[in-house]
Formats: sequence, C-alpha cells, structure tokens
Amino acid sequence: MEYLYIVMISLGIYVILASSFNFVIGEAGLISIAHPAFFATGAYVSAIAALRYGVPIPLAMLLAVVVTFLVSVIISLPALRVSGDYLMIASIGFQLGLIELLKNLAITGGAGGLSGIPSFLVPQIGNGGYAAVVWACAIAVVLVLRYITRSDYGRAMSAMRDDELAFASLGRNPMWVKLWVIGLASAIAGFAGALYAHFFRFMEPDQFDVLQSAALLTMVVVGGMRTSLGPVVGAVLLQILPQAITFLNLPPSVLGPLQGILFTGLVLGFMFFRPRGIVRMDPVWKGALQDAPASGGTHVRGA
Amino acid sequence: MFDLATIMQILWTSVATSSYYVLFALSFALALKVNKVFNFTQAAVMSVAFYTAYGCVQLLDWPAFIALPLALVAALVLSWFIEVFGFSILRERKVEMLFVFIFTFMVSQLTVYLISLAFGTWSHTIFQSMFWPVTLVGPIAISGWDIPALVVAFGSAAILFAFLRFSRWGQFMVAVSDNPDLAELYGIEKRKVYLLTILIAGALAAIGMFLYGMRAQVQPRTSLDLMLFATVATIIGGIGNLFGALIAAVGLAVIQNASILFISSEWQAFLVYAILFATIIFLPGGLRMPKFGTRFETKTREISLAEETPSAPPSTRAE
Repeated sequence: MEYLYIVMISLGIYVILASSFNFVIGEAGLISIAHPAFFATGAYVSAIAALRYGVPIPLAMLLAVVVTFLVSVIISLPALRVSGDYLMIASIGFQLGLIELLKNLAITGGAGGLSGIPSFLVPQIGNGGYAAVVWACAIAVVLVLRYITRSDYGRAMSAMRDDELAFASLGRNPMWVKLWVIGLASAIAGFAGALYAHFFRFMEPDQFDVLQSAALLTMVVVGGMRTSLGPVVGAVLLQILPQAITFLNLPPSVLGPLQGILFTGLVLGFMFFRPRGIVRMDPVWKGALQDAPASGGTHVRGA
Repeated sequence: MFDLATIMQILWTSVATSSYYVLFALSFALALKVNKVFNFTQAAVMSVAFYTAYGCVQLLDWPAFIALPLALVAALVLSWFIEVFGFSILRERKVEMLFVFIFTFMVSQLTVYLISLAFGTWSHTIFQSMFWPVTLVGPIAISGWDIPALVVAFGSAAILFAFLRFSRWGQFMVAVSDNPDLAELYGIEKRKVYLLTILIAGALAAIGMFLYGMRAQVQPRTSLDLMLFATVATIIGGIGNLFGALIAAVGLAVIQNASILFISSEWQAFLVYAILFATIIFLPGGLRMPKFGTRFETKTREISLAEETPSAPPSTRAE
C-alpha cells in the first residue's frame, strides 16, 4: 500500500508539472523547455531554506514559489526578446547552465545532491494523507489553469499565440502576457518542486536535466496539447507504464534504457499516428462562438 | 602560469580540438541553412557512427580501414532514414516548429537509450588507447592525432565550400536555402536537395565523431553535449553563414581551452551554456562573421540594387 501511495504522490506532482508546462507551451505557444529548471529551483530553494536555515517548511515552500516566480520573470525578461526556436534553444542553455550551477555550488550539495531534507506533513498524516494533499493540489492547479484558459485572459493568450502581430496591433502588450504566463507556470512548477523535495527528501541536479523536459513534453504531446485533461492523462499514463515495467525485475542497466525507449517511442508513435494526442483539443472558442451575434465574429476582450 | 610557452600550448591544443567542433558546427549549420531545421537528430547520427566504429574495431577486431567506412555508411543510412521517414513527412504535413523539435529531440534520446541498452552507459573509445605519441616542436607538444585531425577537418570543410560554390548540386542547395519555392519553380527538386543536405551533414558529423572518438572517451549521451556546442557555434557564426560557424567553432574551442587559466575545469560546461544563453538573447543574429564568397554576393547585390527599388532588409526570426 505504501508503494501505491508513493506512486500516487509522484503521479500528482507530474500532473501539476505537465499541466503547468502545457499552459506555457500549449496554451501560450511559448516554446521553452526549461520547465524542469523551475521545478528544480522550487525544490532546492525550499529544501535549502528548511535544511540549512531552519525556516519552517510551509514558509520555505512559500519562499520557493516566490523565488521561482521572480527567477522565471528575471530570466524571461531578456529571454522573451526572442521567440520560436531561438527561445527553445535559449531555454536549453538556461536549463543546462542551472544544472551545472547546482552541481558546482556547495550550498546545493554539489553533484552528489542534497539529502536529509526535512519531511513535511508525512509524520503527522502518513504517506496516504500526503498523497491526498498532493492530489488536492493537482486538481486545484488543473482547475485554476482550465479556468484561466477559458477566461477572457485565456482567449487573449490564444490570440497572442496564433498571431502576435495582430494581437499587438489591437493595443495589447504580448510581453506582459508572456511574462505572466511564464511566471505563473514557473511558480506552480516551483511549488511542485517543494512538494517533491519535502517528500522524497533527496535530490540531485541530474534529476532535472533535459530528459525531464523530454518526459514532460511526452506527457503533454501524448496526452493532448492545449487541453486541460490531456496533460493529466499523459502524466498518469507515462508514470504508470514505467512502473509496470519495474515488475519485470530487470536489472537497472536494462530497466532505465527500456523505460526511456518506451517514453521516446511513444512520443514518436503519437507524433506520426495520432499527433493531436489521446485527448483531442477542446473547442476553446465554442462558448464565444455560441454567444456571438449571427452577423459578427468573435473578439478578444481585455488581457 | 601565463608564460608564452603555456599560452602557445593552449592555443595549439585549442586549434587541434576545434577540428571536430568545426565538423559538428558545419553539419548543424548546413542542415539549418538549407533544410531550416535545428537538426538535433545529428546527435543520433554521431552516436551511431561512433558505436558502429567502436563495435567493429573493439568488439569484432576489424581493421580501422574497414570499420570507419562501415560506420560512415551506418551514419548515412540513419540520416537517409530520418529524412525520408521523418523530416519529409513532417514537412508535407506542415507541422509546427515545436513538433519538428520534439521529433529531432526524441530521435536523439531514443538512440541514446538504444545504445545504452546495447553497449551500456560506461565510456568507450574507438581504439584501445586514446593516447597518441607526442612530438615537441619548440615549446609546443604536438600529438600524433593533431595534424591528421586538422587536415581531415579543414580538408572536409574546404571540400564542402568548394562543393557549394562550384558543383551543380551545391548551387541547388544554396538556391533552396535562399528560396525553396522559387528554386522549385526553376526545376530544382527540393526533396532531393533536402535529402542530399542531410546526408552531407550526417557524413560531416560522423567524420567529426571519428576524430573525437580516437582521442576522448564517449558515453551514449556525449553526442548530445557535443551537439549543443555546435548549436552555440552556429548561432554565434550567424545562421546561414557556414564560414561564420567554422570561425565560431574555432573561437569557442580557444575560449573553452583557455578558460582553464582563469576558472576551474568544473565550470567549463557552465561557461558553454552561459555563452549559449547569452548569445541567443543578445546576439540572435550572431556576430558579424565574414561570409565565404562575399565578393560575389556583393556584386550581385549591387546589380539588383541598381535595377530594383530598395526593399526592407530581411528580418531575423528573432523579435
């Protein structure tokens, strides 16, 4: 049963991560794959604050969210000067640079990682209780992001994604929308990192490398990009499948690559045979089209 | 620490090291120039080239003159497969750039996992020993690998530039890189040009990987790191400027090797990523590197300016 709780906690954290990643890459169309870097930032800030400075854990988690938000905005301010493939490569540079930084700083425990991170809530409510807390957070994140996506702001995001020039010509500032999207999604990832750090109580920089980006991309693409449910389905599927393989009792030298082959093979298969993912795109404009007068089109209200 | 002999040695080592970096950068820059893709599948091609050579030489005990051409063929076959069953399908579907990126990235990752499964995750070299005899030329130690590597790398680069400049297919590649639709109107088969480009890029990457694998240890993930270096060089050199990518690769190799004078070796990787991030953000158009064949371009531009009304300069894809 304890094993099941651990799987559930891991699943919940990945649902939060995949949903917030979809918010950036799918809904806003910002091709940044550095989401695991913000996950790492949250995890390390919360863990270091609690472990090294004795900050109470809830406060450390809050600090993680605030710091991740600020870091993402500060990094994005220059980074968002570029877009498309340039932004993607800049995000790779940032992510790999951050990992190297984590590997070389003493405060982060270096390449060996950080261990003995104080536990949060588990001594009081057990693994089952923590799983319930993580899933409550995951559901809240999915619902909040769904609400934003379907609100006026979400429609503004879609407009910006589809035609940034037209969006700007309407008097909107795409930069503010992008900053807000990245800041919010990164803060959520930072929160997921804090949840992760105080449960698993150990982490090392390589856990947050480009493979983690590939895993998140897989979840979003396989699940269904630009949908609320898609990343959830993708996260659940791609967390459970590797778990199923562990029951084959294969040696780690075979198990790791086999899980990777499964991940990447699934993405490639979905890309060519079902590019829109398991959950097909929501008709985001449906409500607006139904409300719109017969002669008129739709318009974007305030951002 | 900063005596002339040390500086000269570092400069020589940097130039020698740049031999494979030049090939990786040219391969990446060529695919980006003609096919307009950030071709991260290059890492897969590099890995396949290295592990085929390693398997033939070390496991099957075949001589290098058979192993290396065979590994080159394996790299070309994979390049052909990726173009025909990957890029061309995605191109036909006119998919978003994000999907192309995911495709290239996933192919590289899949290859890493397949190789890890087949060969393990520990380090290998093509030959038993990666140490080469050293000759002292004045204060500089030159290894037996250095000069052949430089000849191969810069010879390959010279052949590539000559091919693009003087051969018919090379000119087709330049035409397609400039305006694929117009090139097609003139009867150039885009598909064949895209395939040829990927094959040439694959061959350059494979040759670079042979040079690297004769001197350093390779793990399944090594090619991904090497390719990021190529990405930095391509962007600094200016997208579409192969000669710029070549110069940038040499410059980066010098910076990376010389950095040991100022910072510890653990921070070298950080330096590369920091340069990557800063270059894209602040120099998305790259540095103003000289272009190979500039005189010809300037001449044609002068003629067109005289005949046509001036138009707006082409914008970069960056904002």
